[in-house]
Amino acid sequence: MSPRESRDHDQGAGAVLLCGEVRTCLLPAHQALDVRAAAQLLRLRADERVLVSERPNLYARSPDALTGVDCPLPSASGAKVRAVGTVAARGALTEGRVLQTSARLSLTARGPDHRQPWGHYLVRPGLLEPFGRLPREAVAEGVLAGARRGELDVGLIADGLLTRLLRHPLLDQRPPFKSRPTRLRWTALTAGPGTDRPVIERLTLAEDELRTLALRVPSGADPAEVAALCEDLALHDWLLTTLVRLLDGSRLGSADGTAVVRALRPAVDHLLHLWMPRARLDPAFAALWDALEERPGFTRQWEALVRRIRDQLALHAIPALHQEAVMAP
Amino acid sequence: MLVFAASDKGGTGRSVTSANLAYQRALLGDHVAYVDFDFGSPTAAAVFDVPGAIRGIQENGLHSYLEGETNEPAKIDVWRQTEHPVLRNRPNQAGRLVLFPGNISGGEFATDDDTLERCVDLLLRLNTEFDLIVVDLSAGRSYAMDMVLAATAHPRMRHVPFRWLVFHRWTRQHVIAAAGLVHKDHGILDCGAGHGHDREALRGHIRFVRAAVPDPESPLWSQVTPAQAAWMQACDEALRRLASDNRIGDSVVLGIVPLEPILQWREQLITEEDVLSKQIANKETLEALEEIARRLTDDACWGRP
Repeated sequence: MSPRESRDHDQGAGAVLLCGEVRTCLLPAHQALDVRAAAQLLRLRADERVLVSERPNLYARSPDALTGVDCPLPSASGAKVRAVGTVAARGALTEGRVLQTSARLSLTARGPDHRQPWGHYLVRPGLLEPFGRLPREAVAEGVLAGARRGELDVGLIADGLLTRLLRHPLLDQRPPFKSRPTRLRWTALTAGPGTDRPVIERLTLAEDELRTLALRVPSGADPAEVAALCEDLALHDWLLTTLVRLLDGSRLGSADGTAVVRALRPAVDHLLHLWMPRARLDPAFAALWDALEERPGFTRQWEALVRRIRDQLALHAIPALHQEAVMAP
Repeated sequence: MLVFAASDKGGTGRSVTSANLAYQRALLGDHVAYVDFDFGSPTAAAVFDVPGAIRGIQENGLHSYLEGETNEPAKIDVWRQTEHPVLRNRPNQAGRLVLFPGNISGGEFATDDDTLERCVDLLLRLNTEFDLIVVDLSAGRSYAMDMVLAATAHPRMRHVPFRWLVFHRWTRQHVIAAAGLVHKDHGILDCGAGHGHDREALRGHIRFVRAAVPDPESPLWSQVTPAQAAWMQACDEALRRLASDNRIGDSVVLGIVPLEPILQWREQLITEEDVLSKQIANKETLEALEEIARRLTDDACWGRP
């Protein structure tokens, strides 16, 4: 099954602004989930199958769950714009270890001045129509700045799905190490004719846990593919952040070798094999990674951290060998 | 690990002591969350010196979260948002210290199944992120106490270790009240057993902290007359017997915090600077807090080999 299967469902055409939020966390289970368990966890709907793929790594993704919304949009200019439609959300599990939920929506440039029957919105999953004209730049800014009370908060929908998944009885709630979840909030304005490549306009670390990403994408871009790019970015940003924190907390250089090994071991057991940027991206979006590899240099940093961890473990293995050699007759 | 801070009466130093324990553990490198379930009178903001940060939290404190009005409770990074001059310089290698405040104007409230599920969600999420989660409960037999007893008996929480600290002052009434909170009708054990806890196992997870205890040997009392000194000794003896008779004797005491003048005046964190350079706090107080903080995770102090 291809990750692009959802293309038929999503409403990219006619949308001028796409936005969403991705939550990423360590799965709170002692053992990583195997394919079958991952599919069970992500079976949100009985009538739709979970997408499972084992190459190049183990990955499972739920079908979309829709949430109907009718509320004002956040807006940097303070303009009150009401929109009606559905938000699509899905969960994904990478290597049975990293859990993500992602909610996304597309907005049209304008919509009718009154609410249509729900059937109208239900056949356009993930699409919202504004009442009147959409001030798209202001709304994009507003989304990145964060919704205020009462406004459409796509992050809450991602969080709601995460809460639901975390309650699943398959999870024994024994995470193998302490880690922090992250949030990636994103917007993508569609570019006019003549632009055929997506670009990253801004990627920032707003707070400890929040990243914001502003994209520009060709008009007609598939929202599910844009979300897949953001999920891939969020996953690798979480991996980097988590590995940096593990190293931070490990007190390298302290005399207590066993403590260092104990602190670094989770990285070896659970994280180091997960790095695989753009594993399943549409080629047009995969190209965006090139810019990130240039600056800030995601893979470069990852490889430096991995080398450091391996060197530390090798270093702490030496005295053990030495002692064994001494004790041997 | 979860640590629940309980007391039967107000004014036992429960909040200020448990906040100090959280602070000490963060200094040791643990990531610590301090969760303010003292719904009647949240004081954590004062102890951590974050009044400015608290003012913004009218709507998304823990009350709003538990009642389902907000999905993410507000949190305050103490190192970053405190107005305390010493705390602002987060020491090297210190862990995170994050306060989850209650709403400014929220009282006690009844809990239903939905609230319980949300409480479990919260505690589990904190458990994935923090090494130690200190939960400060309202004084007495409160809804908060009932809720966390139900939460820790919940099947989803079966692998999350927890411990209870019961704080009391060193007086007749406080000793009797603290023992009652644990052992008497509708106390922690009764209530816990009602929610499915094993009574004996639960009892093994409870330790007592005596707060504001006057030490007759302390220089604070060096000026007292011989008659006063003898009377104090006798009282101390009598209290020890009373505590022991009420099953809260020395074997289940995790630590003793001496009477500390600055804590009598103001709820605050005791820093090394208060002891060493400003010399406004006693060394013994800081040492006692450090020792209790250490014992929180020392299995030998909890009847485990």
